[in-house]
Amino acid sequence: MHILVIEDDARVAEHIGKGLKSAGHLVDVESDGRAGLLRAAAETYDLIVVDRMLPNVDGLTIVQTIRATGDTTPVLFLSALAEVDERVAGLRAGGDDYLTKPFAMSELLARIDVLNRRGPAIVAETKLSVGDLEVDLLGQAVRRGGRPIDLTAREFRILAYLARNEGRVVTRSMLLEHVWDYHFDPQTNIIDQHVSRLRQKVDRGFDTPLIHTVRGTGYVMRADG
Amino acid sequence: MRSRGRGRLWRSLTLRLGVIYVALFLTSTALMFGAAYWMAVYRPLQNEAQAVRREMGDLAAIDRAGGRDALIRALITREASGAKKPFHALIAPDGKPVLANLPSWPDEALDGWTLLEADIYRGGQEHDYEALVVENRLDDGARLIVGRDVESIDDRDELFTIGSAWLILVAACLAIGGSVAMSAAVGQRIDAVTRTARRVMAGSLTERIPLRGTGDDFDELAATLNMMLGRIEESVESVRRVSDNVAHELRTPLARLHADLDELSAARTAAERDRLTEQALAEAERLQSIFDALLRIARIESGRHLAGMKPVDMTLLLADAIEFHMPEAEARGQRVESDVTAGLVIEGDPNLIFQAVSNLLDNAIKYGGEGGLIRVAAHREGEEVSISIADRGPGIAPEYRERVLERFFRVPATAATPGTGLGLALVNAIVGLHNGQMEIGDAAPGALVTLRFGAA
Repeated sequence: MHILVIEDDARVAEHIGKGLKSAGHLVDVESDGRAGLLRAAAETYDLIVVDRMLPNVDGLTIVQTIRATGDTTPVLFLSALAEVDERVAGLRAGGDDYLTKPFAMSELLARIDVLNRRGPAIVAETKLSVGDLEVDLLGQAVRRGGRPIDLTAREFRILAYLARNEGRVVTRSMLLEHVWDYHFDPQTNIIDQHVSRLRQKVDRGFDTPLIHTVRGTGYVMRADG
Repeated sequence: MRSRGRGRLWRSLTLRLGVIYVALFLTSTALMFGAAYWMAVYRPLQNEAQAVRREMGDLAAIDRAGGRDALIRALITREASGAKKPFHALIAPDGKPVLANLPSWPDEALDGWTLLEADIYRGGQEHDYEALVVENRLDDGARLIVGRDVESIDDRDELFTIGSAWLILVAACLAIGGSVAMSAAVGQRIDAVTRTARRVMAGSLTERIPLRGTGDDFDELAATLNMMLGRIEESVESVRRVSDNVAHELRTPLARLHADLDELSAARTAAERDRLTEQALAEAERLQSIFDALLRIARIESGRHLAGMKPVDMTLLLADAIEFHMPEAEARGQRVESDVTAGLVIEGDPNLIFQAVSNLLDNAIKYGGEGGLIRVAAHREGEEVSISIADRGPGIAPEYRERVLERFFRVPATAATPGTGLGLALVNAIVGLHNGQMEIGDAAPGALVTLRFGAA
């Protein structure tokens, strides 16, 4: 992927650049808001990672400007402004995701992966399948190898989110944001327990596990073990 | 006592008020005396003057019609008949008196009203008279002076003049003295407040304004200011404690992080490097979560979070929160009992309320003991929605129930349980933002936390 990073802190920009490059992406870095905006307008990128607070032109304005020109390039905000209302402001301005600093590179990569997969067109999927697992989004029913699996509403949402992002790493904070409609800081790593309950229902008794833990980051759903 | 210089004295409000008070007092006294003088002296004098003028007209007419003799007869008759002593003097054109009962008169013709001394010696005694006279020149050039006795009015005049002078002098002294005393008394109380405020500003936060114990306005003001000083002292103390705690709580993970990185640079095996890296990341995460919680508390406490207020269905929110924490409770073999009335709605920020409830549930699970029971209850009580969460753990001793709301405070016995000591402080800040109340009580056994919010 060709990614534009607009970040004024040289150390952070270097860290992001290195991380993205080692994940196989092509990276351009701008450290100034105005230069970043010009570059985003002049070239075609697969994704833009933009800081909220930048010299000359701030991140919100950059995104509003490129959206006003009809550009739908996915944008990921990367900001130290972490509160709910700040995040909402970022998403309202046209951002597709919002990650707060400090962040783990694995989290950034996972989110970029998911944003990339979301792609240009949103297809209304009603059925997802991962290996022998079938998830019926309309009927809220799950079958594996033809056998129905009984899930709670919440477990179903976790599973659907994982299945929709098959093969992509889904971080704990992504799960929290997408599955629970509350933005808060769980005091414990309780997401793990929810996933482990789900895993017991989905993977127990089958030869190949579908839900895999990615150490230090989150989970990935994959049929090939 | 008095620390004011001359310049400040003149600027002082109490002194200015005193001066205004004296001026008003003297003006009103003068007006009162003026009115009384007008009624008791000036008007009766005018009345007498009019009567005398009428008599003069009559006598002049008699002189013109009946000649000098008729006038003399009329004057004699008049002298015999008047209730008030009538005075007269008829002076021939050559200056010789023809008929007079006035003891003396000026040589020059009188112009307009005049008061003449008319004391008369009779039988060795002096009789005090004061004559209000008017003069008319008769056709042949003779002078006719006619008047009446106004001694009683004149006495009153004198009494008023001297009396009012004395009274105004005394009143002025009293007013000035009173206002100086008042100004000094008020000034002293204000000085006391000023002195205390200066000492507090200089850093002595324990200073309080002395009370007289009279319960007057100044005492009330002083008591209120003292309460304010108390609150300021408390919050400064708590800020100091918090910053001490912050320093301590952040230094420890920072030191561990430092140690991890230090060892990492010297690590020889890949396994060791992995372990140290993971440890360092964990410390960084812990630092971050402390930092985030502190920032969030500060942000909530400064009331900057009000934007997200909307009706929140507490019945739904509590069910979500219980469901969220269920795996954790089950992992510890705990049961969660919920007794929640349907349709409870409050006005609030759902994310923050969820955070608060989640923190309380997390505590209940963490300290509730293996296999314990956690009870969540929510009901409407009048205009309030009360939410209580109880566990069957060791509970919080009464002496710590206030302090657990402080940032970083942890009940000594819980030191071994992981935690930052910020959870309840965050709950408290959230409840405060929503104008709610938070109570920590005893579930006998266990801790009972009750939150109350105004029902929407």
